[in-house]
Amino acid sequence: MSTFKAYKKRLREAARDPKISLALSRAIGSYRHNVNEALEKFPQTQRLADEVKQIKEESISHMEILVEQACETIRQNKGEAFVAKTPHEALDIIDEIVGTGKLIVKGKSLTGEEIDLREHLQEQGNEVYETDLGEYIIQLLGIKPMHLLAPAIHVPKEDVAKLLSQVTGEEVPPDIKTEVAKVREILRDKFFRADVGMSGANVVAADTGTLFQIENEGNIRLCSTAPPVYIALIGMEKVVSTLEEAFKVAEVTWRYAGYSVPSYVNLVSSPSKTGDIEKTTTYGAHGPKEMYVIFLDAGRSKLAKDPLFREALYCLRCGACLYECPLFAATAGNFGDKYFGGIGAIWTAFVTGDLTKAAPLTYSCLTCGRCKVRCPVGIDAPQMCLELRRHIAEGE
Amino acid sequence: MPKREQRLVPEGILLVRNNIRTKGNIFGVSSKAKWAKGLGLSSRGETLFFAGCGYQFLEGAEATLSAVRALDRKGLSWEKTLGVTKFLNRVGINLGDLYGRLTSYSHPFGEPLRCSVEVLQKTGMEFGYLSEEEPCCAGPLYYAGFHREFATRAAVTYQTFKERGVKRIIGIVPSCTYTLRELFPRFLKEWNIEVRNFMEVVLESIKGGMRFRLPQRVRVTYHDPCILSRYLCLTVEPIEIFRCVEGVELVEVEHTKGEWSTCCGGGGGFEVIFPEVSHILAINRVKELLKTGASVIVTACPGCLIQLREGLNGLKAKGVEVMDIAQLLQRALPE
Repeated sequence: MSTFKAYKKRLREAARDPKISLALSRAIGSYRHNVNEALEKFPQTQRLADEVKQIKEESISHMEILVEQACETIRQNKGEAFVAKTPHEALDIIDEIVGTGKLIVKGKSLTGEEIDLREHLQEQGNEVYETDLGEYIIQLLGIKPMHLLAPAIHVPKEDVAKLLSQVTGEEVPPDIKTEVAKVREILRDKFFRADVGMSGANVVAADTGTLFQIENEGNIRLCSTAPPVYIALIGMEKVVSTLEEAFKVAEVTWRYAGYSVPSYVNLVSSPSKTGDIEKTTTYGAHGPKEMYVIFLDAGRSKLAKDPLFREALYCLRCGACLYECPLFAATAGNFGDKYFGGIGAIWTAFVTGDLTKAAPLTYSCLTCGRCKVRCPVGIDAPQMCLELRRHIAEGE
Repeated sequence: MPKREQRLVPEGILLVRNNIRTKGNIFGVSSKAKWAKGLGLSSRGETLFFAGCGYQFLEGAEATLSAVRALDRKGLSWEKTLGVTKFLNRVGINLGDLYGRLTSYSHPFGEPLRCSVEVLQKTGMEFGYLSEEEPCCAGPLYYAGFHREFATRAAVTYQTFKERGVKRIIGIVPSCTYTLRELFPRFLKEWNIEVRNFMEVVLESIKGGMRFRLPQRVRVTYHDPCILSRYLCLTVEPIEIFRCVEGVELVEVEHTKGEWSTCCGGGGGFEVIFPEVSHILAINRVKELLKTGASVIVTACPGCLIQLREGLNGLKAKGVEVMDIAQLLQRALPE
């Protein structure tokens, strides 16, 4: 079956699935409520979003220099830093650090998803646990995430209960509180036994080498502190010049993700250290002794130089646009290939370099333009989809 | 950026492109001006009424689309049937035409078009209609990615207008209006024709004293077509019009209106690529609109009109009808 046909079939089946549309309509309803409340409570967000747009324009225009600077700072902070040109290079670097037979706890990461990180680590003979609740469910189900922030957005509590009962061998009732407590119990011990912790980052400050991670569950915090080794895989586009800018980007990201305030914002700049004995800096106090940061290029530096498409790199991955997309409301992450929605079509084209995958997505965009109205940095995904169509139909 | 691959353009889109290239309209029919019979429209004028492709083939398009959807639902490759259409075309049988002849007995052609002309005539404005000579705006070529072909056709279209001394155009189809108003100037530096949408003209007349009044009170909700609300920023105009039509009780949909309106599922050529999914999106939109308790869903786009009607049929909703704003206004014309 051709890629297009297979995609069409997948889309049709998803659109027919009442579970998806029910889960999504609930999610969209609560998102709109939450985001309106958050924006009302923090009316400065709109102004901040305008500033963030400028910050992104500026940082993407010299992305490679900023990434170099961030690497340098992280090294000065006694971490290791790398730039991986391709997914293959990134995986090689990770293999070198991790090796085989290790227990790994992972925070949810789209960049990890982009290079099939979990699958790769498992193939290398490691035991890998996704620790974001939704992502853990996805891993157990052996399926693909359906939303950036809520990967199991389409799975009802009854299905979760069944799944957890299978895993634990005991009867777990379809009660959300019990389910959450059960997952906590299962994963708790993994965090502390793990050899390696991994995660992504929402934004990185080049001047201080600080990685920002926005989260609610506390799992990323554990991944980046409990194990002796910590690895972060981050898209190059996440780097901005200063700590001050990074705070602005972070606040706008969580606000448009629908949160007034997230439970945690982790700021990680170096391995754990102490100078408490004779003022001698020693690494690996309570947190990890080793910290590795890998910046992934995979098409990003090319994208940054493309005047028509570079805007795609401004994306904060707040996920707000997806709640506004009528096609996403009916089919969830099936309208996408790792990256979702209209903006996902552009990302797919550049990071996979495979138009066979990107074409069905770009021709699926309704070009209705509501995502652009919602986007904090005003990304015109429909216009980029039209440009991508031109590229497919006519070439450069 | 990876290398271009034209084979990745979906077949449904290629069919539309072929129709524009061979017949000068998106449906591939031979005649497109029958709807205007008996309206006494001049074929010349500094101001032109631009009928576009959508409305006069509404019934045909609706029937074709539901046939295609039936095939698509069964997982049959409905694009294959297009091959048959092409073959018949080659031997001189045009299905679009045939269908047009059949339906003309049961349906009045292009009712929204006739209504909009009647309304415009009542405003006292003078305008012409190019009838069979009206060029296709070819907007769908642009949306499909064929910008060079679009640009070539745009240049020819501009010549046609220039030779006839056209200074102003009134568009009724949102997509044609947008194409002529926003895309043409992008591709043609010399473009100097003023393009307005039907609703803008109507609102101006209302402000100049024109009155509308419906024979009885009706609960109306409005569905903003994406091109009007988000591309042409005409969100206030329809609401102002409704407020000035006596007998209209406007019940607006919550949140999903104006720039936040939900697409009917027929945007960007989506309906010819993913017919069944498009139908599901239409149903979703109709559900939102029905929550208002309106008995009439008014919109202002032939694509939305088909989608919403089909969505309503899909829900088997009774006692609600979908109509174009031109139809509503025609019914509210002063005697």
